[in-house]
Amino acid sequence: MSEASDRGHEEFLAEAQDIIEAFSRNLLSLDASFKKGGVEPALLNEGFRAIHTLKGLASLFGVTGLAMLTHRLEDLLDGLRLGRVSISSEVLDVLFAAVEACHLLLAAEREEEDDGAVPDVVHRVLTQIELIGRGAKAAREDDFTIDPGILAVLTEYEEHRLRANLEAGLRLFRVRVQFDLMTIDKELALLKDRARQLGEVITYLPTGESSSPDVLELDLVLASGEELALLVSQLGGEAVAIEEIPRRNALAEARRESAAQVLSRAPLSVSHPASSAPSSVGVPALERGVSVQEKRLARRAVRVDIHKLDRLMNVVGELSLLRSSLRRVADRIKNSGQRQLGGELHRLHRNFERRLEDMQDGILEMRMVPLGQVFDRLARGVRQMSRDVGKEVRLVITGAETEIDKLIVEELGDPLLHMLRNAIDHGIETEAERVRAKKNPVGTIALNAYQKGNHVMIEVEDDGRGIDEKRLIERAVQIGAIEPSSAPDISRDEVMGLMFLPGLSTRDAVSAMSGRGVGMDVVKTNIARLGGVIDVHSERGIGTKMTLTLPITLAIVRALLVSAEEHVFAVPLSSVSEIVLLDSKTRLIDGREVMSLRGSTLPLCRLAEFFGIAKQPQRGRAFVVVAQVGERRLGLVIDSVAGQQDIVIKALGSSLDRVRGFAGATELGDQRVGLVLDTTGIVEEVLSIHDTLRKAVLHA
Amino acid sequence: MPDSVVLGSFLGRHAEHAQELLAFVTQGELYAVPLAAVQEIVVPPPLTVVPRAARAVVGVCSVRGRVVTVVDFRTCMGLPPLEQGRRVRILLGQGENDEIVGLRVDEVRHVVRLAAGELEWTAQSLGGDAADSVLRGIGRPANGEELVLVDMKAVLTKGCA
Repeated sequence: MSEASDRGHEEFLAEAQDIIEAFSRNLLSLDASFKKGGVEPALLNEGFRAIHTLKGLASLFGVTGLAMLTHRLEDLLDGLRLGRVSISSEVLDVLFAAVEACHLLLAAEREEEDDGAVPDVVHRVLTQIELIGRGAKAAREDDFTIDPGILAVLTEYEEHRLRANLEAGLRLFRVRVQFDLMTIDKELALLKDRARQLGEVITYLPTGESSSPDVLELDLVLASGEELALLVSQLGGEAVAIEEIPRRNALAEARRESAAQVLSRAPLSVSHPASSAPSSVGVPALERGVSVQEKRLARRAVRVDIHKLDRLMNVVGELSLLRSSLRRVADRIKNSGQRQLGGELHRLHRNFERRLEDMQDGILEMRMVPLGQVFDRLARGVRQMSRDVGKEVRLVITGAETEIDKLIVEELGDPLLHMLRNAIDHGIETEAERVRAKKNPVGTIALNAYQKGNHVMIEVEDDGRGIDEKRLIERAVQIGAIEPSSAPDISRDEVMGLMFLPGLSTRDAVSAMSGRGVGMDVVKTNIARLGGVIDVHSERGIGTKMTLTLPITLAIVRALLVSAEEHVFAVPLSSVSEIVLLDSKTRLIDGREVMSLRGSTLPLCRLAEFFGIAKQPQRGRAFVVVAQVGERRLGLVIDSVAGQQDIVIKALGSSLDRVRGFAGATELGDQRVGLVLDTTGIVEEVLSIHDTLRKAVLHA
Repeated sequence: MPDSVVLGSFLGRHAEHAQELLAFVTQGELYAVPLAAVQEIVVPPPLTVVPRAARAVVGVCSVRGRVVTVVDFRTCMGLPPLEQGRRVRILLGQGENDEIVGLRVDEVRHVVRLAAGELEWTAQSLGGDAADSVLRGIGRPANGEELVLVDMKAVLTKGCA
């Protein structure tokens, strides 16, 4: 494959992915609105359009499986929006299954495994779609009292909507509006928004009459249950005229005046907008006023490979190194007596520094995406899982707009899905149990996200049965992770830590979903790789809350430079809560050195000894960097603090994968490289009190 | 020709440059690696020691923005470490997983061209366990010193392990 077509293919994959995700969001809204009892036609339309686009793309790129699936899907959605097929939870199930099937096909295409063979899942979905299609009712022929003049110009869909509205006992209105050609896109969208509050806009058509060439007159056909007077007060204005369109059996005269007039010139512009008379210059754009705007927005967005942003970030990092050199030169010049020149250079330097910061912020911003991207997928998962286990669960999402590094979002899906699965499977009780416990029979899982300083917090909270600590300890003893003798004096926090041991599950019966004990340890490892931590709180009978603390970005980090035995290390500032002088009177508790800090006990770790680089016992003044990881604290004892710096963390080669304690390396200037401490890993390693536990964690 | 089998596996995909070797000195002994296996020769930038790393890993350094692990050839061969030397160089090549790793040697000499007849590929006679060994044979140029042939990828992989 040539490079150009490779890139085209990449873009296809990315775009198809976006469309499927958008469609899946659309389905969730549809599901929600269906449960509330009404289906918003706009949602069906949106879904139909998305799949239609995807079908086009799939055919263009010769992805036959996907093209076939989307083709059928499009038919189904078309049937839904035209009312030929009525929506039901079975239909929604099929649609959700179709999303999964699309993901599957896309994944296969990405792996270049598309050998034309269609996976079973896709077959099943196709069969189901066909079944639904067979049961569809034929288009109704019963004639409502609609003027045939109107019917003639409406598309099948619009006609369906018109009928549906009349059936619901609503009335039809004609809203005639004059628009300035310059602002028509915006104005029309605004008007439609307002009209949507009052009813449904069936169609809008140009009248072809206007007072000046810069003005375009449109007729909107609005179905509404409101009184004319209210419509006038809500939509009215200088350039707006509203009338009710009488039904056919009403005054024929009025009909000629209004409805017929509305529609008399319309057919031309509906079917062939471009070929209509010069008076309708704005028509092609108008006909899809809003979607044109959408398209324009889409065209302004650029898809960028995140590695290109990484490269840019590296350049910024190198520029900051240049900046420091510049500053040194400025200092030298100033000190050599050329004060004025030095001063000028300093000012330039400061300016340069500010611009550089702007640039850095800009690049970071580009990497940020809302967590909603992954939450949508999770909502789908929860819906599926709760049906699978037959528990009714309500998922409440807040903070989906919280932004986080794109790379982190991509890695978050699986761990979060696993946590939700645990909550549904282990946390939420069966309906009968809940009723007995006098709880709401419908379980609730809250997925909350918010920003807190340099971190993004994500909470998964269920109102289920809570974690059985006794059971957890028993299991840990059973799998040999802790000694039976040490079980009684294990602290609460440590108990919660046990659930992350590999091979541990408190469930006796292994369910299809979870309970095999593989999972929470993997979740923890994956979260740790992103520089995050998990904290667990649980109350018996009330529920469990797991909190993820994640860095906002992986690209650039503010770090503290510390030295121990002539080695310089960078400690990400996000994990440092404070720096204090080492207390000369440290004590030993349980064989671990601790000091007291404002009344509480702080465990210590002498960094040089920890890394095995200590040449002699530490003497004289030393500092303690208090590392805070989640809710645990550890004092890292170092010789001195060299300052702060924004660093770009670079990965160490895979040859150093086995070396624990470092998150990567960074360039410190003058060609030197500094190692970045993996604070999470170190705290973990040092604080696992029980040796057996520690071994288990290390060998995980 | 049985030799060519061994030769093929040593030189790998660089077989077309079979005759070109880069000679370097360590502890007074002359060694050589296939020239094509050397991406670059660099004057050692400041090295940063990585605590807890394998013994032969002398540290990491930055080569044009990339953090590179550096392995000491002496340690790999069980020789005593060298205190700073003016001629010390780092040869960059591919280690395990195609990672670029540096090999620190005492001094780089020159490029030698050897005819097939001047190469003697013997794994067994040099260092016991053939699978573990990074030495692949002896080069005997018609008019020059003997060279010990080193498998670049193998030495880099061994050094990091």
